[in-house]
Amino acid sequence: MNELLSRTTDKSTDLLRALFTDSSLGFLIINERGLLEFINNEAARIIGFDNIDEVDGYSLHDIESVISCNLREVFSMVMKGHDYRKKEHRCTNRRGHFVVLSAYCSPYRQSDGTIVGLIAIIQDVTSFYRKKTELENAISELSIISQVAEALSSTADLETALKIILTGVTANQGLSFNRAFLFTYDENQNVLRGKMAIGPSSPEEAGKIWSSLAQQPRTLTELLKDYIERENSSSFSLSSMITDWEIPMEETSIFSQAMNSSQWINVDFQDILDDNSGKILKRLRTNHLAVAPIISKDSKFGLIAADNQITGKRISDSDMQLLQTFANNTAVAIERSRLYQNLVEHSAELEKKNKLLARSQEQMVRVEKMSVIGELTSSIAHELRNPLAVIGGFANLMLSANKNDPNSEYLNIILTEAKRAESVLHQVLDFSRASRTKSRDIDFNKLVNQTHEILVSRLKHNQKPPVLELSDDKHFVWGNPDQLQHALYQYMSLSTEEMTDECGVKISTQTRENVVHMTVAFNGDDKVRKQVVKTLNQIFNNPGGTYKLSIIVAGETIRYHGGNFGIETTSGNIPNIFIELPIKGGQNND
Amino acid sequence: MTKILIVDDDNHIRKLYGDFLTLEGYEVKTAADACEAYEVIQNERFDLIVLDIELGGDSGLDMLKRLKREYPDIPIILNTAYSIYKSDFHTWVADGYILKSSDIQSLKNKIEELLAHDAPA
Repeated sequence: MNELLSRTTDKSTDLLRALFTDSSLGFLIINERGLLEFINNEAARIIGFDNIDEVDGYSLHDIESVISCNLREVFSMVMKGHDYRKKEHRCTNRRGHFVVLSAYCSPYRQSDGTIVGLIAIIQDVTSFYRKKTELENAISELSIISQVAEALSSTADLETALKIILTGVTANQGLSFNRAFLFTYDENQNVLRGKMAIGPSSPEEAGKIWSSLAQQPRTLTELLKDYIERENSSSFSLSSMITDWEIPMEETSIFSQAMNSSQWINVDFQDILDDNSGKILKRLRTNHLAVAPIISKDSKFGLIAADNQITGKRISDSDMQLLQTFANNTAVAIERSRLYQNLVEHSAELEKKNKLLARSQEQMVRVEKMSVIGELTSSIAHELRNPLAVIGGFANLMLSANKNDPNSEYLNIILTEAKRAESVLHQVLDFSRASRTKSRDIDFNKLVNQTHEILVSRLKHNQKPPVLELSDDKHFVWGNPDQLQHALYQYMSLSTEEMTDECGVKISTQTRENVVHMTVAFNGDDKVRKQVVKTLNQIFNNPGGTYKLSIIVAGETIRYHGGNFGIETTSGNIPNIFIELPIKGGQNND
Repeated sequence: MTKILIVDDDNHIRKLYGDFLTLEGYEVKTAADACEAYEVIQNERFDLIVLDIELGGDSGLDMLKRLKREYPDIPIILNTAYSIYKSDFHTWVADGYILKSSDIQSLKNKIEELLAHDAPA
């Protein structure tokens, strides 16, 4: 060992010995033949010797095999006059301990500058390296948690939120888990159901993903996007392993245990497990499983199970805490999604009610207008009734006084037209009288039924009453009951006053969307069809028709109440009359 | 001869009913408003009164009430253009209710019906 030192005659050799024998830095010298010339206590400890005497006779080759470093290459480089520096070299020492070294190698020169060996200073930075790694892991974990939080705050879709969380659980193969499975809890059936899973489906796929990640780190959103693309293009998805799986919670298992105790569980196949837990590990094809319940206050939402099936890395308590953090995030996401869903439903309900309110207000304004029109019509009609009575009355008087009056033909015409005008006035006054009634919620079926009863009571002996068929559901319309009854009566009476005996008539009610319908339907042969078409044409399309005014008033009444009316042709080709009115969500105060 | 009082603010109606009922054999007097009507009634005894409800400024219903209080034996027929009063209980005290129309026979029929009812057996 002292061969080289004896040749280095200068005093610096003694100085080196004095300086480095008990230094906290490792110090060693290798001569030009590759033999260890000097080693201090710290260097001997790092390499794995108890004391420096054990190192006697050690060569470059012996040290190289211990610290897994290509020392010969370094040696030849240094012997040519170059320096060599290596930071954080990870290796296993002679005793099999993991060691991280920082080394600095430099040529060892004689006083004339001749290189006679290599001088190396080595430092054990294992402790520093471990702390640094822990710090990096913590930063990485925080980064993932932060990314998860950010991603969750930007999505209201629960499915996406859950995928983001599972991606977070598996985001870093060195730090976190290889695979993550989500199970949701069905409180009604007291079972856990497999919902979704994220992770590589095989070691080959894992290798591809992780090498790609090592080359180009990605954000959580990018990872999720990659995952979805892979799942769509692959014939196998990890989710399919669990999506048809139901686990009863009354059975004893690691899942029910985690849910009931609200505590995470870290299980190993070597642990003494019950049958059901063994089946769970078997189905997930894993030997180790971390289970974290998803629980918020008193609500149980499910659990996340995760493993390192690919890498076989041991699941530490720190990993479990991280998994529980993700499970807690999941609980928040689920609660947030439920609240959001409630909000959306309430907003939709509110919007619907606002629309209904707006429509009701519009209807109220219309009905108020209708009331004013009714009063106006009434006063005009009464003003006309006196002159009509006088005209027709005098014609009547003249005819009564002298039956041979030469003008009797004209007097009869005057009398007939006066009576016709009086009939029209009668209908208008019926409507205006109806306008005096206050508007309210009206049970539509009840209104139709009452109108039908009035119609039947006024039928002549030889007239067939129309069949009435009311829908089972009860709906309210808002408006003036007398006006609406007057309008419904006008349409109903058309069917009985104009139709022949061969024609069957059915009055029915139906509900469609937000409106109630009353249909006056006719049935019969082709002759009936022609009669119905002719009659409805006369009524609706003939300006001089007898019913024109009453139908106009009835139609306007329906429109003023926000409804509609018309003729529709059914499959039997006989046209029907229909009336529709908007449903009001009112109280049953009819 | 049976005496009938027609109370109506429309002079053509008064003329129509007056002429028609005269032709039918009744003695007819007419009044255009409540004031004129009270004057006539205080001086003459009538067997029947035909009363319009809308009498310009006066209400035929007030007059109906007073007449029924002071002359409970005289049958009164309300003759009006308004069918709505038929459902007003104030009109129920009247003995008849006729809507004004060109069908003057209905007025005659109602008068005959009431007078026959009031006639001694």
